[in-house]
Amino acid sequence: MSMGIPEIEDASCLLCFGYNGADSHPIVARRIVRGRQKGMKIICVDPRVTETARISDIHMQLKGGSNLALVNAMANVIWKEGLTDDAFIAEHTKGFDDFLKVIEKYTPEYAEKICQVPAETIRQAARMYAVSKPAMILYGMGVCQFSQAVDVVKGLANLALMTGNFGGPSMGIGPVRGQNNVQGACDMGALPNSYPDYQSVTDPAARRKFEEAWGVTLSDKVGCPITHVPHRILHETDEKKKIHAYYIFGEDPAQSDPDLAEVREALDKCDFVIMQDIYMNKTGLHADVILPATAWGEHDGVYTCADRGFQRIRKAVEPEGNVKPDWQIISEISTAMGYPMKYSNTEEIWNEMIALCPDFAGATYEKMEKYGSVQWPCRDKSMEDRGTPYLHKNGIFATKDHKALFYGTDWHPPLELENDEYPMTLSTVREVGHYSVRTMTGNCRMLRNLEDEPGWVQMNPQDCRRLHLSKGELVKILSKRGYCITRCLPTERVKTGATYMTYQWWVGACNELTTAYLDPISNTPEYKYCACRVEKIDDQEWAERHVKELYAQIRTQMGISAEKEARS
Amino acid sequence: MAFEQVQTTCPYCGAGCQIMFHVDREKNQIVEAVPAMGRTNEGTLCLKGHYGWDYLNDPQLLTKRLKNPMIRKGGKKSPLVEVSWEEAISYVAEKLTEIKEKYGPDAIMGTGSARGAGNEANYLMQKFMRACIGTNNVDHCARI
Repeated sequence: MSMGIPEIEDASCLLCFGYNGADSHPIVARRIVRGRQKGMKIICVDPRVTETARISDIHMQLKGGSNLALVNAMANVIWKEGLTDDAFIAEHTKGFDDFLKVIEKYTPEYAEKICQVPAETIRQAARMYAVSKPAMILYGMGVCQFSQAVDVVKGLANLALMTGNFGGPSMGIGPVRGQNNVQGACDMGALPNSYPDYQSVTDPAARRKFEEAWGVTLSDKVGCPITHVPHRILHETDEKKKIHAYYIFGEDPAQSDPDLAEVREALDKCDFVIMQDIYMNKTGLHADVILPATAWGEHDGVYTCADRGFQRIRKAVEPEGNVKPDWQIISEISTAMGYPMKYSNTEEIWNEMIALCPDFAGATYEKMEKYGSVQWPCRDKSMEDRGTPYLHKNGIFATKDHKALFYGTDWHPPLELENDEYPMTLSTVREVGHYSVRTMTGNCRMLRNLEDEPGWVQMNPQDCRRLHLSKGELVKILSKRGYCITRCLPTERVKTGATYMTYQWWVGACNELTTAYLDPISNTPEYKYCACRVEKIDDQEWAERHVKELYAQIRTQMGISAEKEARS
Repeated sequence: MAFEQVQTTCPYCGAGCQIMFHVDREKNQIVEAVPAMGRTNEGTLCLKGHYGWDYLNDPQLLTKRLKNPMIRKGGKKSPLVEVSWEEAISYVAEKLTEIKEKYGPDAIMGTGSARGAGNEANYLMQKFMRACIGTNNVDHCARI
């Protein structure tokens, strides 16, 4: 996020795009509510009537998969109506004229046909955003999980640039990162193209620095993105490029990745699969080796939250069982393979890392102890450098010439569209009580009581009537790739033709249906759009029994005894 | 008796809320979690922050906590067998070395973790893949 989370409530206008904070980040959502109480205008762009939509000034309930057309149309209005910040554009940006050539055709009337949002509403929203300052954009997976995702992020940045909404507090654009340490895993270089602190593996100077520090020669080839792995196991013909070993650390691809049938096939065909985790999970059923690790609460370390804040995690209890911290397991494997790693605690690792990372160099454990949270960039070790609440101060950007670039791109539709056989669409979403694949929240007594298998499919009541479905009824939902059973939840919050499911259920596993089509730049799957069909199940008694049996069967595979099942 | 207080960062979404655990040292158990005054949460928590630590007690609701290294000794689909750490580590090291020698370093893929492990473990994982294995094949669920 270019801004800090506390700044949200002081924006004059919030454009909340494909981001449902109430379900995904309740404590961030509180800032939106507080901003509203302070008079902040809210424009919500979401195909569902989310909680943010309910308190918004303008809700553009667009058709799923039409994001870029709407963003470009807002830019078109801001330009055509002379609402641009020309001084900011001239001084701090490049490429504006080329960008205008792209957005010229995106009149609100043109976008209305694609987005199903009235042209006049698009105009009002664009004006509201452009005349408010500071105006902030927050976005979520409703932007990123499409085959056209990075283009939309750039489109949102274009809106902030053309209105001069970068460089001060409570402005800019913010992807509100979904998982506790997804920002941190990126910061640390768990990415195929960059070392820690986003230093490119193809930059010879960066490579030399890490080669010297680590005492080895490093590869100059960008590595394999995680979403290419099934293909690289199943279909790669070059043996040197084919993935023969997969070391999976703290992930559950057999539940969280798209097109689960393909993922399972890939895991079974991969020569050697290592799983390092805290709980048995779906991936564990396919692993050749399982390495048990300590959990959050049992080890020390640092997380990076969504707004670049480094914060400590601390050991509260001694772990039970024969488990080790992740860093220790990795060190031992490395040492056994002839590349010794010796550390006695996490701070030693942290100090090695920050010495190699200019933007993190000043973020010491001592500083985190003292201030609680240190937002990067924090380049100086002196206690005076407390980090950076918002980026691009005074319009100075992180490019060589410090200027921001406009990128205009044309909208294209999602890659799998509705058709005769699969006439509806499926989008995966979140719910507040469960997290990710639920191996954590599903094992918490209080949270587990909120919702359980097989989850729900949200559908418009008109579609439910057409299919003769009522609330709570078990239904079969299918796509070209697979199917699952879940419960029908009629709700006016969603548009006709669209369905929504959360992805943590085993029986109601919506990732059996999702597609592995990717955004070409980010390699993120199109979780928010695939074609599906909902079918009524006539024999509900059988279906209820079937769900129960399936659930019991999977729990047995996960090591939960039948006796325990009866009690819980 | 007085419980020990331990402050930490919530392991769920990216909001970075600060939690104060009250820990019973004798029983080695968390008694409760209360909101702490963090920069982003300012003394508030959502339901996951309040109740989302119970999995540490291994209540055996959904899946079993992993407590020992395990290997499928009879190959794919065979049962997992509990082994010592020494055996698990040397088995992994041997298999990875064998695959690297046979197909080259780019035949091995590793992941980071965006969840409980933390930054230091992610730093080491990418260092392991790059410096020890010799590939940039490392990624994590940021794109998932």
